[in-house]
Amino acid sequence: MSSERTLLSLLPGESAFIEKLDVGISTCKLLNLGVLPKAKVTMVRKAPFGGAYYIKLDGHQLAVRTEEAATIILENQI
Amino acid sequence: MKTSKLNIALLGNPNSGKSSLFNHLTGLRQHVSNFPGVTVDKKSGTILLENGVEANIIDFPGTYSVYPNSSEEKIVINILTDKNNDNYPDLVIYVADATQLERHLLFATQIIDLGLPMIFVLNMIDLISEQGDILDIKPLEKYLGVKVIPVSVRNNEHLDSLTHEISAGAQQIKGLENPIKYVFTDVENFVATRIQKNLSTTSLYTAKVIAHHYKWLSHIDEEQKNKIKTITEQSAFNDLNLQVRETMDRYNHFAPVVRETIKVAKREKKSLTDKIDDIITHRFWGPIIFFAIMFLMFQSIYSWSSVPMDLIETGFAEVGILLTNSLPAGWWTDLLVNGLLAGLGGVLVFVPQIAVLFLLISLLEESGYMSRAVYMFDIVMRKFGMNGRSMVALISSGACAIPAIMSTRTISDPKERLITILVSPLISCSARLPVYAVLVGFVVADTDVLGIFNMQGLVFMGLYLLGIVGALVSALVFKAILKSENNSFLMIELPNYKPPLWKNVLLTVKEKVTSFVVEAGKIIVLISIALWFLASYGPGNDLEEATTNAQNISIEKKLSEQEKDNLIASYKIEASYIGHLGQWIEPAIKPLGFDWKMGIAILTSFAAREVFVGTMATIYSIGSDNDEQTLRQKMASEKRPGTEINVYNPATSLSLLVFYVFAMQCMSTLAIVKRETNTWKWPIIQFVFMSVLAYVGSFIVYQLMT
Repeated sequence: MSSERTLLSLLPGESAFIEKLDVGISTCKLLNLGVLPKAKVTMVRKAPFGGAYYIKLDGHQLAVRTEEAATIILENQI
Repeated sequence: MKTSKLNIALLGNPNSGKSSLFNHLTGLRQHVSNFPGVTVDKKSGTILLENGVEANIIDFPGTYSVYPNSSEEKIVINILTDKNNDNYPDLVIYVADATQLERHLLFATQIIDLGLPMIFVLNMIDLISEQGDILDIKPLEKYLGVKVIPVSVRNNEHLDSLTHEISAGAQQIKGLENPIKYVFTDVENFVATRIQKNLSTTSLYTAKVIAHHYKWLSHIDEEQKNKIKTITEQSAFNDLNLQVRETMDRYNHFAPVVRETIKVAKREKKSLTDKIDDIITHRFWGPIIFFAIMFLMFQSIYSWSSVPMDLIETGFAEVGILLTNSLPAGWWTDLLVNGLLAGLGGVLVFVPQIAVLFLLISLLEESGYMSRAVYMFDIVMRKFGMNGRSMVALISSGACAIPAIMSTRTISDPKERLITILVSPLISCSARLPVYAVLVGFVVADTDVLGIFNMQGLVFMGLYLLGIVGALVSALVFKAILKSENNSFLMIELPNYKPPLWKNVLLTVKEKVTSFVVEAGKIIVLISIALWFLASYGPGNDLEEATTNAQNISIEKKLSEQEKDNLIASYKIEASYIGHLGQWIEPAIKPLGFDWKMGIAILTSFAAREVFVGTMATIYSIGSDNDEQTLRQKMASEKRPGTEINVYNPATSLSLLVFYVFAMQCMSTLAIVKRETNTWKWPIIQFVFMSVLAYVGSFIVYQLMT
């Protein structure tokens, strides 16, 4: 499964569609916050000192840590 | 016991405008208490229904779903799954943000499945029309099977019809007949049916939620827990996967409904929030802007609160003088003025700072800035076992640790919150300033270095830095020692920027100030009375002897009436219990370079650090007029008994300064830590570790310099 592309592979300004979430402790919380399969996600920027990302979903913004972003699997084609 | 009054619950996601609606519905008829057994705030109030009947209304903490991530959300689920709970609602007013309808529908459909009657309030419809979207509530009403009321709390739109609907809804409460929104899998069905039989829950879905959470639900007893454990284990009930499956399934069902309800117009490429965040969360400018805002905040706390604080202080002093002069002299007048009144003054003097700090913090919170700060500094704070939100608390501590500690409630991880509470008082607060100001002159002269820096200014800065380093190092130590529940996550919404609602801001300020005065006030007044007793009474007839001695000396030296009173006060405090205590601890503080007089000052400083100046003034018998100049001259000429060595030489003074940087000398802070952690354990630990730090710090400084 090493070929899976996660949110971490997006550069600032790039967008992609979410394929699925790696089920773990943060999954439900991510779903609650609108991080859903088929949703379009945009990487906006990295936090000033690293460790977290500013992401944009349909109509709202979120901040996620690196570990949390790694569970967001993206579709391959943009 | 359930009251006969109707219980109405306000439920919804964070940032849904739920609290604004609560403030609108209740106005000032609201109060804050705790949910039984926990320190989660329960905001409740009353509303008058159209038929003249009053109903209770509770503003529950913002919740994303029945699968909770924070202790606050757990409280909500505990109540919603227990129909015998005092706070179990008869009617739910669910508040959703119309611009985030899809996400906010999740919890709503879960509440409906729990079998609770609901009125669905679709808030922020002003933004829908602003964005050019078209709203049609009929598909949503049909899907949910409950009344949907579109409103804008911010612009006061349709709120009258809401009050009407609540009244109508409260008159004929009925559960929903329409089927459950979530279709169970076989495993879920099997498990839920068996649990429902055992517990006779309101709905099958309640039974399923209990199957997920039985371990921590307080209304499930041990016997039932064991039964449920057996049921779930036998049927291979996979907690996490089924939560995810349910959530996904719900989203799939209502996604088409959301598209029918709100026809979305084309969006502009960049919203205002995007443009603001390009600068405010910029990788380089973001932190700089943050520190600029914090600096301004710090300045405002000083400058805006200094006038009211002076007024409170002089006001209490005036009332004290008035009472002393008008009441017959006696121990109880003394207790009233120097014990009770002084204690009360000690509480109220912090009110302006707390009010200003919370005014500014809730402005930042309401506007949406705070979550940006959390995002930017999360990684930095995590290195020290804290959370992005700790940044705000630590900086607030520069004014006063009390409001800072009160602001840590937003940190969801218990360990991160505790560390923040424990280290916040190490940041030099405004009460240390008078002490620093008196002593710094004995350490270095008021000279310039390199033409631009002032030596005393540098020592000042050094003391502040020492506090910051102390806080961060202690945090690292606690991070290593304390057990973690591993609940730490960031995943935070960065809501669109919006102008703050003044009503919300002012109500927050009022609430925080009241809870400080009432909760911390009780303890502070008690300790003040104890300190008064220790300083006013002494063993045997020591006090009488001291007074006679002082009087004789005054006559010998032909002192004026004022000088005589000052001398008597000085002799009396030496002969009092606290004076004895000071002499008793002298051997212990000698290695730090302190004599018993400083010992007394350190002991009385426990009430509050700024008491140091007043105590020193009394001991050196210059009257407690708090004149720092006179006091400094007196202290400068003080020699060690039988020698020509200055008592306040650089070594002693720096040692004393370091002691004040680290020591936990603030009973108000300890009182508030007790309140926030709900146990005496943590304030005691905090007191001990800070005292050790102070002792060791002073010891090293003094031994190195002599």
